[in-house]
Amino acid sequence: MRHAFPLIGGLAAATLLLTGCTGEPAGNGDDAAAEVAPGFLAVADESIASSGTFRAYLDYDTVEPNGLDPRTADTARSWTIMGLAYETLVNIDENFEFTPGLAESWDEVSPTEYVFHLRDDAVFSNGRPMTAEDVKGSIELLLETGSAWSLQLGPIESVEVTGDLEVTVKLSAPYTALLGALANTPAAILPVQEVRDGTVDLKTEMVGTGPFVPTAHVQDESWSFEQNPHYHGLDELGIDAVELEIVPDEANRLAAIRDGSAQYVFFNNADALDLLAGTPEAKVVNQQNTDFYYVILNSTNPDSPLADERVRFAVNAAIDRAQLSDLTLAGHGLATGVSPVSLPGACDPEELPSQQLSDEEITKLLADAGAENITLSLQTWNSESAPGKIAQVIQQQLEPFGVTVDIEIVDDATYGATFYGSDETAGADIGVSWYAGYGDAAMVSRWWNTDQAGFTARFMQGSPELNQLVVDASEEPAGEGRDATLTKLCAAVDEGAEQVPLMTRPGVIAYRDDLISPTINSNEGYGDIFRYVTDFRLKSEG
Amino acid sequence: MRLLHWLPGRLLSAIIVLLGASILIFAAVRSLPGDFAQIVLGPLSNEEQREQLRQSFGFDRSLPEQYLLWLGNAARGDFGLSLASQQPVLDELASRLPVTALLAGMAMLVTIAIGIPLGVYAGTHASTGRGSAAARIVSTIGISFPEFVLGCLVVFLFSRFDLGLSVGAFTSPTTDFGRGVVSLLLPALVLSVFCVAATARTTRDAVIGVLVEPHIAASVARGEPKGFIIRHHVLRNALIPVLTLTATITAYLLGGAVIVERVFNVPGIGSYLVLALDRRDYTVIQAGVLLATAVFVIASLLIDVLTGLVDPRVSVAKKGRGA
Repeated sequence: MRHAFPLIGGLAAATLLLTGCTGEPAGNGDDAAAEVAPGFLAVADESIASSGTFRAYLDYDTVEPNGLDPRTADTARSWTIMGLAYETLVNIDENFEFTPGLAESWDEVSPTEYVFHLRDDAVFSNGRPMTAEDVKGSIELLLETGSAWSLQLGPIESVEVTGDLEVTVKLSAPYTALLGALANTPAAILPVQEVRDGTVDLKTEMVGTGPFVPTAHVQDESWSFEQNPHYHGLDELGIDAVELEIVPDEANRLAAIRDGSAQYVFFNNADALDLLAGTPEAKVVNQQNTDFYYVILNSTNPDSPLADERVRFAVNAAIDRAQLSDLTLAGHGLATGVSPVSLPGACDPEELPSQQLSDEEITKLLADAGAENITLSLQTWNSESAPGKIAQVIQQQLEPFGVTVDIEIVDDATYGATFYGSDETAGADIGVSWYAGYGDAAMVSRWWNTDQAGFTARFMQGSPELNQLVVDASEEPAGEGRDATLTKLCAAVDEGAEQVPLMTRPGVIAYRDDLISPTINSNEGYGDIFRYVTDFRLKSEG
Repeated sequence: MRLLHWLPGRLLSAIIVLLGASILIFAAVRSLPGDFAQIVLGPLSNEEQREQLRQSFGFDRSLPEQYLLWLGNAARGDFGLSLASQQPVLDELASRLPVTALLAGMAMLVTIAIGIPLGVYAGTHASTGRGSAAARIVSTIGISFPEFVLGCLVVFLFSRFDLGLSVGAFTSPTTDFGRGVVSLLLPALVLSVFCVAATARTTRDAVIGVLVEPHIAASVARGEPKGFIIRHHVLRNALIPVLTLTATITAYLLGGAVIVERVFNVPGIGSYLVLALDRRDYTVIQAGVLLATAVFVIASLLIDVLTGLVDPRVSVAKKGRGA
């Protein structure tokens, strides 16, 4: 017993050493969401005379069936990387307002007609000036693909060149999300003439009007970009070149920011906020996203208790979003309905029907449905840490209600095989994943419309009423009427409980304060962590 | 001349092993849940788009037809295109091979430099002292410690504290050999821990076995110095099981590289294979595993030849018949 205290002391010291706990407050984590200006977590100091190479570490590379073709790019990282080379007609700002891009202005002539006035100094990286024909052709080329993003463009009836630098888009029905769809990289303006005559292969080349041009790419390893000499904002660029390293392992990305080999690093794990607390040169910010986690409650298996809407609704109501966020995302995830809570006009998640139920009502609902002691299978994927943690917390939260959850954490491909790409009912009762939330409150709700989102067929039956609400939300002009429709849509999704939105999926960006002065928006809709890269200033030449 | 009798048989068995491995890996990969089209096109894709992608890579054909087609092309040195990068698999593997080869080479160097002396010391001090016990403890811990645990620990410690070496900042040895070696130092050390332990243990056992041989007693009786006896009589005879172990270690290094490269973000063949597995990039997995099998088979072949050279008592011809 004499050795008990030294032993305990030794263990405590070893634990402190291994956990890296220095006794310092986790200052980085505490003020990670603090804004330095309205809508911004960081604002570049434009007074810095900047040049050199911007070095960033990313978690994964772009891997798309059509290579580098932005039209069919499906992941946020593809949008981010391709966004260095391409530009869109409109941009989206920190408040999710639309701002000029390659169109310096636009007129909404009617809810079904938009006229875009193009800037006259946009030039592709091959030296050819952009024309109105490129804009018309780019939208048409995107529509031809039938890709997920072409669906987001909505009911486009025609695209016409109506002036030297003017393009008119006509819709067959009102579609409020049009600008939101045009603001993302898949709707990039392409050198259409060269694409059509075959001199530019979009699969292997990036020829855009954006600030940078790729010079090298090693799949899953690295990207190199240099300035596009024809970029219209060349004089204002504070970066000569961009080097991106693809580093899937988080500890290695942490190491890179600690030793300064990276100036700017992205994390999907809120723990990074605390893990970098001991690195004073590292600034760590928590960027809120419109992306959100959701659970699938498979309604298509008649043998599952979840075939009963009452059971699904009870399970939905039993999930405590605040606790889920605290335990899995360090409290940074925001409870949300199907319209992402950080977007203008989104519904209030506290007003959702499921949030009004008491524990007794949940228990009674399950008892009424004859589901007092049930076992449900849950499957999620392992390429990020959060889904597995979310699954475990949900398991704990449902247990007091007599719902036993068997968790299986698998790789992405296995998860995909369980829930998508077949005619059979999904292979599990519950799934945990996330959706990109985009830049308009109605865009993601398309995935709840069974007429439009065939990929949900293995776990969702939907209803004509729900489908109509999705259509209404996309057609109504922004304002109180649309807000009311979004609230109804959120309630319908919540009650049907086939895909249940949980909480937003924030990202963590760490940057070296001694090496770089970046601009980072507080809220992001398209996962573009380089949205303001043209404003970045380097404090050393990198 | 004996080698000429023995070699054709060994080559034939090597080809059979490679063929068997190719069938196994082809079947194993295809039986995994989820497919490439689903992964790359994502959940938002429809069946028509997935089918189109499968057709473009020939996955709509029957499995035997796919296998024979792949095998025929592979025999001509064409392993097809990576489904993810759409680049020739052989080029992709070749660009990553120097990294893995250097990593494995460094780990092997550490293994030989530490494992054999440690084993000799433990063997020659088997009956006395703390040194032998310490060597046994070290080798037992080394064998018991999985490299993914050790790797994660090292990554954490070296990323959390400034310990002189950085993790994750890889430099290609083809662009800067010196910096490339430094950036591979930690992964190579982690990879070598098991090999050092196994080599030390095997060497120790072999040394103990040789020490009781009559010719050692004769050398002692002749008054030869201890160091001379160990270098000229003990080590040479004890090396045979160590050489055999080297073939196994080669296979282990290739397998271990898969984990270590992933943990340390080393862009070698191992991490490339893990990514390919995640993406169900069939052509890469098939070619990568076949390459690893070929390396192991060739290493075994070379070790057999070396064993015969080190100890002429081991009949190469006899081994050949037994094969």
